[in-house]
Amino acid sequence: MEIAYYPGCSLHASSALYDIQCREVLGRLGVDLKEIRDWNCCGATSAAKTNDFLSMALPARNLGIADASGYAEMVIPCASCYSRTLLAQKTLESDKDLREKINVELSAKVQGKIRLLSILDLLVEQSKSGAIGSKASMKLEGLKPACYYGCLQTRYPMDIQLPDSIENPQGMEIVCEALGAKAIDWGYKTDCCGASASVNDGDVSLKLMSNITRDAVGRGANCLVTTCPMCQMNMDAYQNAAGEKFGINERLPVYFITELIGVSMGISAVELQLDRHFVEATALLRGLKLL
Amino acid sequence: MPTTEIEFKAEVSTPLLQEVMERSGQDLNACYQCRRCAAGCPVGDVTGVTPDRLIRMIVLGDKEGAMNNKLVWQCVACYTCGTRCPNNIHTARITEALKQMVKEAHLKPLSPKIANFHSSFLTSTSHFGRMNELEFMGMYEFRNAKDELRGGGGLKAIIEELKNQAQLGKSMMKLKRMHFGMEKIKGMSEVKRLFKKGTEK
Repeated sequence: MEIAYYPGCSLHASSALYDIQCREVLGRLGVDLKEIRDWNCCGATSAAKTNDFLSMALPARNLGIADASGYAEMVIPCASCYSRTLLAQKTLESDKDLREKINVELSAKVQGKIRLLSILDLLVEQSKSGAIGSKASMKLEGLKPACYYGCLQTRYPMDIQLPDSIENPQGMEIVCEALGAKAIDWGYKTDCCGASASVNDGDVSLKLMSNITRDAVGRGANCLVTTCPMCQMNMDAYQNAAGEKFGINERLPVYFITELIGVSMGISAVELQLDRHFVEATALLRGLKLL
Repeated sequence: MPTTEIEFKAEVSTPLLQEVMERSGQDLNACYQCRRCAAGCPVGDVTGVTPDRLIRMIVLGDKEGAMNNKLVWQCVACYTCGTRCPNNIHTARITEALKQMVKEAHLKPLSPKIANFHSSFLTSTSHFGRMNELEFMGMYEFRNAKDELRGGGGLKAIIEELKNQAQLGKSMMKLKRMHFGMEKIKGMSEVKRLFKKGTEK
């Protein structure tokens, strides 16, 4: 099965490993990702904070390209890109004037045809159908992940029907179960890591990140797992600084959900780029004889 | 934390409320101060202003206070307030609107650093169609340095900031997570037209 794919800027830069993992893992599940042509930056949260028109127009251009791609569905692994693109699609559905104002500048116009999927939409379906379970040759026994959703995977600034609970989502837990890993129950699943505050408002961000890590550690998790490249970067790159500042001695490797699926499928650490984590991420897996 | 009384200014309240409601798409009048938003706001205790208070300021016409408080800038758009509000008021959309109102009025933002981050992100996108991390960060640090020199933390703050970023940059390079290429899209003319449309008044 082929579907359209929008990686977004992070998956072509600091979270390139997520792009590689998505292609490899989904490919082995029979889902071939076709990157849409000439996509642009979705604007992320910065566009919404700077210019309302552009916050809709930038993802709209990608919607137009996707509509013209010939595919029925498009998966967007980055939680932020998915959120902004879905918001644009919903807004343009009802706001005809705005749609016209944007479409007049585009060669590939927004038609509202493409069905957008988050990475969890795809992976949960693959878990429930048994596809992941059958390809997961190595059950991830001993792994106790704290599934970290962050903000944008479940919360939107408009009324949108979502497949998962906002306050206690279970999507990643379902995938972990299919992989044979026992996800822990914890209280900071959807708590904010600070996002861009890690760069522009450091103290606030370190505090928020330490709250998350502290709860996960306190409940016996031995790793974090996430779907958002911003969350992964933050919780990974700043975990040491946050831990030192707020007296947390343990360090938890922060995996992308696709990394865990990849390990379970027997894909090598090098191919998954597991060696590109700030908090060393291979030792735990080797210790559990999973690598 | 003791709060100060907000004085009701009718002549300011009506136009301010109208502008904020139109831009943000949120019905501020529906707020009945239950403070569910305040309990979930991750930056509430740092800013001293929680979403409910910001709404109250706007409703009562405290334009100065509404555009000049820490929540407007430090709101991380986690959307917790809106998803918990019994009246579906997404205050993150209100802080987004206020940030833009400050910019359009050419007022000095309470946090120039945060403002520079988001404007640099968008400017970087306008150059290439995609956000190239190095170009974006370079622009952000440059604009930030200018503001620090003009009356922020001075040279000391700049050195501190660059030291931290250099440290992060070094780790990223070691871990091969630093991306050096510059990606540019072919459809730049479309993106530029959209930017022109978005920034013209």
